[in-house]
Formats: sequence, C-alpha cells, structure tokens
Amino acid sequence: MSDAVQLDRLAEKPVSRTRETLQTLVANRLAVAGLVVLTLLVVIGIFGEAIAPYGINDIDIANRLQGPSGSHWFGTDDLGRDTLSRVLIAARVSLQVGFIAVGFAIAVGVPIGLVAGYYRGAVDSVLMRMMDVLFSFPAILLAIAILAVLGPGIGNAMIAIGIVYTPIFARITRGSVLVVSEEVYIRAARSLGATDGRIIFRHILPNVLAPIIVQTTLSLAFAILSEAALSFLGLGVQPPNPAWGRMLADGQDFFQQNPWMGIFPGLAILVTVMAFNFVGDGLRDALDPKQKSVIESRGQSA
Amino acid sequence: MSGFLLRRILQMVLALLGVSIVVFALMHLVPGDPVRVALGTRFDQELYDALRERVGLDKPLIEQYFSWLGGALTGDLGVSFRNGQPVTTLIMERLPATITLAFAALAIALIVALPAGIISAVRSGSPLDYGVSAASQVGISMPDFWAGVMYILLFALTLSWLPSSGFTPFGDGVVEWARHLILPALTIGLISGSIITRFVRSAVLEALNQDYVLTARAKGLSEWQIVRRHVLPNSWIPIVTVVGLQLGFLLGGVVVVEVIFAWPGLGRLALVAVKDRDFTVLQGAVLYIAFMFLAINLVVDIIYARLDPRVRVS
Amino acid sequence: MRKAENRWRIIIVMVILALAAAACSEGESVDVGDATTSTAAETTQAPSDDGTTAAPADTTAPPAEAAILIAAQGSEPDQLDPHMTSAYASFQVLENVYDTLVQPGSDLSMEPALAESWVISDDNLTWTFTLRDGVKFHNGRDLVAQDVVYSFERIIAEGLNGWRFGAVETITAPDDSTVVITLTQPSPNLLVSIAGFKGMAIIPEEIVTDGSIGTNPVGTGPFRFVSQSPDEGIVLEKNPDYWRASEGLPKLDGIRFVQIPEAGTKLTALRTGEVHWIDAVPPQDIESLAAEDGITVGRVPGGDYHYFSLNQNRAPFDDARVRQAIATAINRDEIAEAAQFGAATANQTAIPASNVAWYYDYAPYGSGDAAAAQALLEDAGVSNLTIDFLVTSDFPETVTQAQVIAAQLAAVGITVEITDVDFSTWLDLQGNGEFDAFMLSWIGNIDPDDFYYAQHHSTGGFNFQGYSNSEVDSLLDAARVETDQAARKALYDQAAKLIVDDASYIYLYNPDNINAWRDEVGGYATRGDNAIRFEEATLN
Repeated sequence: MSDAVQLDRLAEKPVSRTRETLQTLVANRLAVAGLVVLTLLVVIGIFGEAIAPYGINDIDIANRLQGPSGSHWFGTDDLGRDTLSRVLIAARVSLQVGFIAVGFAIAVGVPIGLVAGYYRGAVDSVLMRMMDVLFSFPAILLAIAILAVLGPGIGNAMIAIGIVYTPIFARITRGSVLVVSEEVYIRAARSLGATDGRIIFRHILPNVLAPIIVQTTLSLAFAILSEAALSFLGLGVQPPNPAWGRMLADGQDFFQQNPWMGIFPGLAILVTVMAFNFVGDGLRDALDPKQKSVIESRGQSA
Repeated sequence: MSGFLLRRILQMVLALLGVSIVVFALMHLVPGDPVRVALGTRFDQELYDALRERVGLDKPLIEQYFSWLGGALTGDLGVSFRNGQPVTTLIMERLPATITLAFAALAIALIVALPAGIISAVRSGSPLDYGVSAASQVGISMPDFWAGVMYILLFALTLSWLPSSGFTPFGDGVVEWARHLILPALTIGLISGSIITRFVRSAVLEALNQDYVLTARAKGLSEWQIVRRHVLPNSWIPIVTVVGLQLGFLLGGVVVVEVIFAWPGLGRLALVAVKDRDFTVLQGAVLYIAFMFLAINLVVDIIYARLDPRVRVS
Repeated sequence: MRKAENRWRIIIVMVILALAAAACSEGESVDVGDATTSTAAETTQAPSDDGTTAAPADTTAPPAEAAILIAAQGSEPDQLDPHMTSAYASFQVLENVYDTLVQPGSDLSMEPALAESWVISDDNLTWTFTLRDGVKFHNGRDLVAQDVVYSFERIIAEGLNGWRFGAVETITAPDDSTVVITLTQPSPNLLVSIAGFKGMAIIPEEIVTDGSIGTNPVGTGPFRFVSQSPDEGIVLEKNPDYWRASEGLPKLDGIRFVQIPEAGTKLTALRTGEVHWIDAVPPQDIESLAAEDGITVGRVPGGDYHYFSLNQNRAPFDDARVRQAIATAINRDEIAEAAQFGAATANQTAIPASNVAWYYDYAPYGSGDAAAAQALLEDAGVSNLTIDFLVTSDFPETVTQAQVIAAQLAAVGITVEITDVDFSTWLDLQGNGEFDAFMLSWIGNIDPDDFYYAQHHSTGGFNFQGYSNSEVDSLLDAARVETDQAARKALYDQAAKLIVDDASYIYLYNPDNINAWRDEVGGYATRGDNAIRFEEATLN
C-alpha cells in the first residue's frame, strides 16, 4: 500500500474499525459460541450461590460418592457434597484466577514491552534479560516457589500465575512495538514534536493491541489450566472453597468409586478453556488484517 | 556473526545469573528450611541450631550465595541438604530420563503436528480442517495430569499393553525402554502437538497467500509441489520458533507428568527440592533447566541468523 | 533450494542428537543376577552361628530365577543414615539393612536381636546386655560391643534421637560381647527407648569416618545395600552371613524399593503385577483391592493417632471450656469414616485399644453434642467464634478432616477457616505459634511415655499448644521412673484423664496400618508399629 493510502486508512475513525472487527468476529460461529459460553460463565460466577442448590461444604457422609440422581444432578463427592453446586460456585474462582492473574501479567508485562520496544538499546536489553530470567524458569516451579513465599490462598495463586505469564506479554508487546515504531506515522508524529509518552500511548499502543488481545484470551485459557495443575500438586485454593482444578484432582483419587466426581469439573475446564480459545481465534482472525485478507480471498468465513 | 554469537552468549550467562539469584532469593524468603524439614515433628532448638551451623545455613545470605556461585563456576554445585549427595551427581542421574522424554514427546508432537497442520492449511475450510482444529482444541484444553491418568487406566490397567510407570534406560533393553516411554511421551506429546499444529497451520496459511504462490499456481504446479517447494521453506521460521519454545518447556516444565508416571526426571527432583527446602538441589536443577532452555533458544536464533539475512539485521 | 537443504540437515542433526542422548542414557544397570548366583554359592559355605554342623536350609542349586521382591513406596527416602533421617520411606529400607540391640516382636513386646539376653541390677540403674555371637557387618567385620557403644554415643552427640537417652549415664563395653548401660534414674521403658525402631541402629564406625553412611549403609541386617539410582530405586541383596541364616533367612534373593509418588499409579502397578508390594493403600480403595483376585490386603490396628490442638497462648482457646466445647461438638466417628473409610477406630485418648498393656478406656465427651457445646461456650462467654485451622496437603487426611470439622462446628455457630500449606511451612508456622489450631498425626509408638510426654509435659519438646498442668507434669515424671507395671499404668491413666479433660489435644482416631501385596508374596505380615520387615518374606 502506498503511504497515502495508509494515511487515509488511519484517518478512518477508530469506531468504524471496531465495527468492522466486530462484524468479522460475529460471522465466526465458533467464536460466537465461545462468547455465549463465557457470558454464561460470568453470570454463573456472579450468581453462583443463588443458583446452586446446596452449599459448598454441606457434608453428608452417608450419601457420598454417588452418581447423578434426582437430588444431586452431578452426584456427590467423597464427603457427600453436591458436585453441581461446587462446580457452579467454582466457576467464579476459576474465572477470578484467570482474569486477575492475566490482568496482573498485562499490567506489568505490556508497559515493560512498550518501554523496551520503544527505547531499544540498553533499556531493551536489561528489561528483556529480566524477562528471559522469568521465562526460562520452569513455570510450575516458579509458581510453587512464589506461593511458598507469599503463603497459600487464592489471591497469592493469582499473583504467582500472573508473574509466570508476565514475560509472554512483555515479549509480544515488544515485538509488535518494534515493527510499529518503524511505521511512517510514528516518524511523522515524532517530527511534529510529540512527546514520547504521547507517541507511546496515542499511536503505538492502539496499534499493538491486536496481538495482546489475542494473547489475553489464550493466556486466560492457560491460566485456568495452571490453576488446575497447582491444585493437583496440592496448592492454590484453600479448602473447602471449590476450584475446578482441585475438584478434578480429588476426583481422580476416587475415580474407581465414582468417576462422575471428576468428570464434571473436567468437562467444565475443557469447555471453558475451549471457549476462550475459540474467542481468541476469532479475535485474531478479526483483528489481524493479514488473516482477514486470507479469509476474504478464500471467499468464505472461517 | 561471531560478534552476534558472543553477545548472545553473554546475554545467556547474564540470564542464568539472574535465574540463580531469583532461586536463591525465593528459597530464603520461603518459610522453613531444610534442617527444619529434616527434624520434622521432633523439633529441638539446640539440635536445630547445631545442624544449621554444620551445613552453613547460619552464615549471612550474601556470603552463602557467593560461596555457592564460586563453586558453581568451577562445576561444583554443592551438596544436597537432604541426603548429602553431590548435586551434580543427582542431576546427572536424572538427565537421561529428562532428555529422553523431552525428545520423544517432541518427536510425537512433530509427527502429529506437521502433517496435520500442513494438510489442514492446504485444505483450509474443509471438514478435514475443522476436524483438525477441533482435535487440536481439545488437545490444548486437556489438563496434562488428567490425560496421563486416563492413559494409565486405559493402556496399563484395562488393556495391560504397557507398564504404568518407571523409566528403563536404553542400555537395559530397547523394548522395555520404549514400552515405558510411550505413555508419558504420548501424554505430553499430544498436547504439545496440538499447540504446534495450530502454529504450523497458520504459518502455512500465510505462506499460501503470498504472491509467489499465485505465480506458481499460474505456472500450473500442483498444490503439493507448491507446498513442498514454495510454502514449506518460507514458513519454517514460526514453526522453528514454537518448536524451540516447546522443547525448552519440555525439558523442565513437565513436573506433573513426571509425578504421575514416577518418571525420574529433573522436574520431579526440583519439586521435591522445593518441598524439602533443599536449596542447593533446587538451585542446581533450575540452573540446568534454564540453561537448556536458553541454549535451545540460542540455537534457534543462530539457525535464523544463518539462514535468514533479514533477521540478522534486527 | 539451499534453505530447504539446510533445514533438512538441521532436522537430521537434531534427530541424531536425540538418539545419541537416548543411547547414552545407560544409567546404572545393576546386574543383580550375578550377585545372586555368587550369594547362593556363599550360602552353602556359611558357617551356622550356633556352631553345629547342620546344613543351611538351601544347599541345593541356586534358584533358576532370582527372587527379587519389588516394593513400591509412596514417598522418597532422603538419606540412609539411620541416626540422621526422619523420613518414613528411609526407614522402610533401613528396617531390612540394620539391627538394633533388641527389637519389637510382632506383638510389639521387646525381644532379643543383637543382644541375646540382658539383666537388670536390683537398683534398676544398671542394665547388662550380652551380645549374640558370630554377627557380622555387611563389610565382613564381626560385630563387637564397642560398636554398640559407638552407635549410641553417636546418637547422643549428633543424632536426631539423642533425647531418648535422657536417663542414660554411661555406656561401656567391658568385653567384646557385653554392653553395660548405667542410668541416672530407673527407666522401665529403656528397651523401647533405645531400640524401638531403626533410628537407634547399630552401625560400624568406619562408614561414618569415611563419610559413606548416608549413601551406602552397612549394617547387620538380613539384606545388604547394593545401589541407589533414580531409575532403579534402592536395590538390596540377600545377606548370606545374616545371624539367622541357620533358619534359612532371608529367603528372598533381594529387594528393590521403587518410588511411585502418585497413589493411583502405585495401585495400578500392583494390580498389573509390575510391583509385588505397596506400602499404603488409599482408604477408599481398600475394599475393591481386597476383593481382587491375586492381591492380599494386610490390615492391623495401628499405633498412629490423628488429632488437632488449639493454641492455648491465644484467647479464647486458653479457656478450657472453649476447648471442651469443641471436643464435644465434633463427631469422631464421622471424621474417621470420612478420612479413612472405616479403616480407623475413633478414640478420645491417644493409645489405641490394640495396645492391650497400656490402653485406657476413657471417653468423656459426647459426639456431636451441640447442646452441651453451646452451654460450655455460653459459660465461657464466647460467641461467633472463628478458628483458623492449620493443615497441610502433604498429609491429605488433615485437609479432609478439617473440612468435616468445619461442617460439624458450623452447627454450633463456630466458623472454621482452613489454611492449607506445604509441610515445611506448616512446621515453621507451628513452631512460631502462628495458628489457632493445628492438625496432624503421630506415627505409632509403643510406650505411653512416647504418647504423652513430649506433647503435654510443660517442658516437652513438642508442646507447641502451650499446655501447662503441674499435676500432669508430676504424674508423667513419676511414671517415667516407676518400675512396677501396674503402678506405672495407673499413673499414665491419671495423666491421660487430665490431658483429655483439659483437651490439650483433641484426639480423633487411630488409623489401621495397611499394606497390600500380591499373593505370590509370602512370609510377610503388616505390623502394628508399621515397620516393614521382609526378613521372612518369600516370593513364588
């Protein structure tokens, strides 16, 4: 594209670009399905206790390890607690972990990436080496060590997972910033005397959002899986608060007695993670002009 | 080229130094220490103090770190607080199992991902493409510990085809080596393969939309000839990137699978070291894992620089 | 197409590297086969220890296939120095490598081991032990009395269990077969103290001076250490010079301890026959495992006990009525059922009913008695109580139990919050008094002093809950030196009554000891003290 066309395109108001993005997204049936599921999850997360037929710690040893039945649609666990109620209420926990952990990673990682990619040189080297250190640390071990330092609890689990995901966001942001800062309009803005801060936030950040958004949905999915792994190793959410990962791990201990105990939380994880991935894929297709042209040239919706 | 290499090696050394400081700091912030764990429920203040002094835990932190660092630079990673064995020995004993599993899992991943990704990109939009996408979605969304336990129940217990756990070295018999290796490698490999499939697919798709492909089609080349001659050579950069990242992850991040399959790898060594606050072992193990990860990344970058002049410039 | 060629080259190089890495991973392959044949040959020439010319039991040709028992442990041994380790997994191995001066028999009464006999002086202050003849260490050297002296002095000086010699004044070896121990006060439980488990093993001095004791144990037991590696686990082989070789022991050619941390995988390994024996069975699987063909589940009442304790240095837990309210509000049977699926016996004291000599049947508290609990709380002027329970997922029953207790106490208006940390952190928090309540279990003991002193004496080394009752102190101190069995029991009963009434610990239950093995394994039985002895085991 010639510079003139580029400038014209950029002169388009952001609103219409957003509309274009949304239109592409909505055309993607899988992404829509994902969005529906996620909306449903958020609703469950907010209203969990109201919807759930039982509490999270209504222990009933006499009726433990039962399969699905009229009074317990998902059956009961090893302490006789209603699995359905626990799965519903755990939705909030799992979503919280996902959003807050990833939120932390974005809040720390994106600024680091912006600064490193914009200023380059020594600043870039130092920041990226620090990210390398975190990155080359085995994720699970880093999370465990951080949790051991901070103490148990869901809040600290979020911070631990957040720290683990920070380098990815830093790297992705930096990569995009490196490319975008070579663009014509950035040089134009600089020659017009705009300050660094203005350039970064007004011109660079909006144009590197696309990969960040895509990575966000992917990281949300992985964050939920990370919580599951930490629960499997005995860390994370404090009992009796339910979390899908912990429920899945506990369910495995009782697989022979009642497979349903683990199946439902496992399905919950699977469905949620897939929903995030579908939405992420859809967003990538919608936001990335190159991918969009791929779809258009193929003459059909992905 | 050598300037580039030197710089990258220096960066790697700095990163390793950073890793060792992070581990050291974390371990000394964590409540509890190896002497406390060793004493367990029979805690006695006098004995505690005496043992701490004996293993050198009462010295100031900086001094402890630098004496460890000095040893590390000469190849002596210290001694395990827990069982007195040299850390280097403990790591070396577990390195074969770790490397074997990582490469076997990667092999499975590539065998699955390369054909699946290429085919689904070439036949983009077809039911086959949807099938591959769906399968790879499920693959990524499955927790590895769940998959591993399911495989054990199916293949070891129900079908009795394969052993449920353990590692048999190659030298003790190829058949047993392979039989013990399959399930853990499959567990990780399929998940890894799902991730790689998606990257392969998008890289190939992107290449397929380049002008030179249109030209090649106009010239009358078959789709497969195009893939072989034009698409693959130009789409390998993102593929190699993700493979490098995956391999690095496989070499140290598969703790959960190691626990399930009782696989004697570095991840499990590090996990036990965290639980027992065995500082020296953890420092050594994490250092090795980080080293392998960074080294692989370096190799990947060298391959880029060698074969793609554009990259060298940036 | 240079790029494509280079790419293929790289792939080929990587594949070669991978194969090379795999091929080079020989690990340590221990040829136990050779050791077995030479062992069998030696057995025919070993002199029997009582000097007769009776032929050893198996003078026939070596077995066609070596009888190696594969035993799966659920946790990893740390080091193999018996005086310095506290890991149960280490003791599972060391039980078969070392001996103690005397040892607990299958009924847990003390019987001769390295010491054949002993006499106690009239003033109860001097014990004289006569050692067995012809006992050899695995390195070929004969056992002498000085080894006993050395071992005990080492434990006192630097071992984890030095406190067990608290009443010992001197240990001497007047000749090679005699050990004399003098005491500062009578110690009726001396035998249990100095030889209750392998933490008091008799070791040869040379393996300490050469530093190999932690990695290469050398003892006098039925099996000798061969190797340890992460691939193979810990490998032991038959000791042909074992002091019970005349009885044909041990019958096994060797043992291999493998570590399988994941309980489900361990069970599967037993079911498929990959291992012959596993140390513990998840309680929910006991029933189905026992019903399975080819597998035997060994189950005996054990000496362990599970409990929780409230921090008496923190209000309102310093008020006995609050503690008693909690002790009566809980339902021990439900807790035991939840955590152990019936493989346990509820108990309001520490000592289990199976310990016939010392059991004290005392159960003053109701079960789930909300009315009584609430009355006590009102009496103490406490309402809307919140308790923070310190548990650890490294002992998963504590997590389960805390959740059950939370539900039970909710019925009395008490809110329970659970803090689940790893064991290291748990120890730290407990040691610093940072808890409202902590929950754990104690590994089986035999003598009542072990059940009560360290935990409830005001100077006890494990009294983290801050309990101090001078009457209990004097009872426990008196019982330590009382040599008359009946009088001693009476003292402990009185002490136990006070401890339970004061709810210093709130005892829950005694779990059963459970192992499981394949039917091919014979000559093995689960023990009340959970020591794992393969001395008489056979493999068909």
